[in-house]
Amino acid sequence: MDPLPEPVNYICGDCGMENTLKPGDVIQCRECGYRILYKKRTRRIVQYEAR
Amino acid sequence: MDGGMSYQRFPKVKIREVKDDIMKFELRETDASLANALRRVMIAEVPTIAIDLVEIEVNSSVLNDEFIAHRLGLIPLTSERAMSMRFSRDCDACDGDGQCEFCSVEFHLRAKCLTDQTLDVTSKDLYSSDHTVVPVDFSDPNEPGEQRGIIIVKLRRGQELRLRAIARKGIGKDHAKWSPAATVTFMYEPMIRINEDLMESMSLEDKRSWIESSPTKVFEMDPITQQLKWHLKLEVQVVGSRLTGEEGREDASYWLSLFRDVPMLPVKVVAEPESYTYDDEVIKKAEAMGKSGLVEIEAKEDSFIFTVESTGAIKATQLVLNAIEVLKQKLDAVRLSDDTVEADDQFGELGAHMRGG
Repeated sequence: MDPLPEPVNYICGDCGMENTLKPGDVIQCRECGYRILYKKRTRRIVQYEAR
Repeated sequence: MDGGMSYQRFPKVKIREVKDDIMKFELRETDASLANALRRVMIAEVPTIAIDLVEIEVNSSVLNDEFIAHRLGLIPLTSERAMSMRFSRDCDACDGDGQCEFCSVEFHLRAKCLTDQTLDVTSKDLYSSDHTVVPVDFSDPNEPGEQRGIIIVKLRRGQELRLRAIARKGIGKDHAKWSPAATVTFMYEPMIRINEDLMESMSLEDKRSWIESSPTKVFEMDPITQQLKWHLKLEVQVVGSRLTGEEGREDASYWLSLFRDVPMLPVKVVAEPESYTYDDEVIKKAEAMGKSGLVEIEAKEDSFIFTVESTGAIKATQLVLNAIEVLKQKLDAVRLSDDTVEADDQFGELGAHMRGG
């Protein structure tokens, strides 16, 4: 599908360090080894119906 | 009632009270079907403008995007223009993207908290592309300094909200956010008849306890005469006739003289008949006191007392007028549809009446 899978930024749940992950990467913080990472909000505009 | 001889009726409206957001009026010489149709049209089919699409750029507040979008939708916007606007689904000029003057209005909101004090983001922070469509202003004219916008979200230091919103025309049937009515109610006017002979036969104590048995204050005791208090009301005895005077006459005596030959009858009315809630308490009390028949109460089936309360999107008076307009458009749609012509036999006299206008 996508020729260039874009790397996505995550934030470590323990130390708060920003991690960049590509598809297939191990889900682990590079700084402290913590395995819970949080995805950052998209910078794109999101659309909602006000209902 | 006239026994169904004719479908044609000429309902009469008497306005009792008008404020920007509240109106009270009497609707007479018609039946419950029309009163209820009017009520339902006011609630669900008079169009207003409300935010319908939200594009969020940045939202670092504690409320999620959907939650904020929903709150924005519920903010009443001044909608005097709504009747002449287009529904975005019927608009040929655009696809309802907010750029189209015929069917949509664009709003922008940008707020960021830079201090340690909590920042209230309110409806006053919404910037409209059209000065006739703005969030309804609820501020008290007696206290001009006070901020009274509708709070959308609160921000702490560093949080930010940035969005674009598109408001569209709609009706309450699609979503309650488009309803211009806070409440619309009508009540039947009660006819209260008192058997005065029976009333005479009661002791003062009994009269008092009977009057007090009503949960609402319908009857009153005259403190001087120690009798049930009455009001006199002049009631016109001719129904359906009309008085016409010369236009431009401003002297009251001329207008009063027109009424000289109109038969009017003074009618005795209890203190506040309209406070009666059809609770039957006074009837039960009279029975319990062994005075059944002391009072007879019936609902006049052709008179209605309306209370209309607007959300502020349009004035209450305009809400009533728009509702009548919408109702007329719906009746025209019935009259003009091909099915109606074919179903004439089925409609009978009603069909004939509709063709006659």
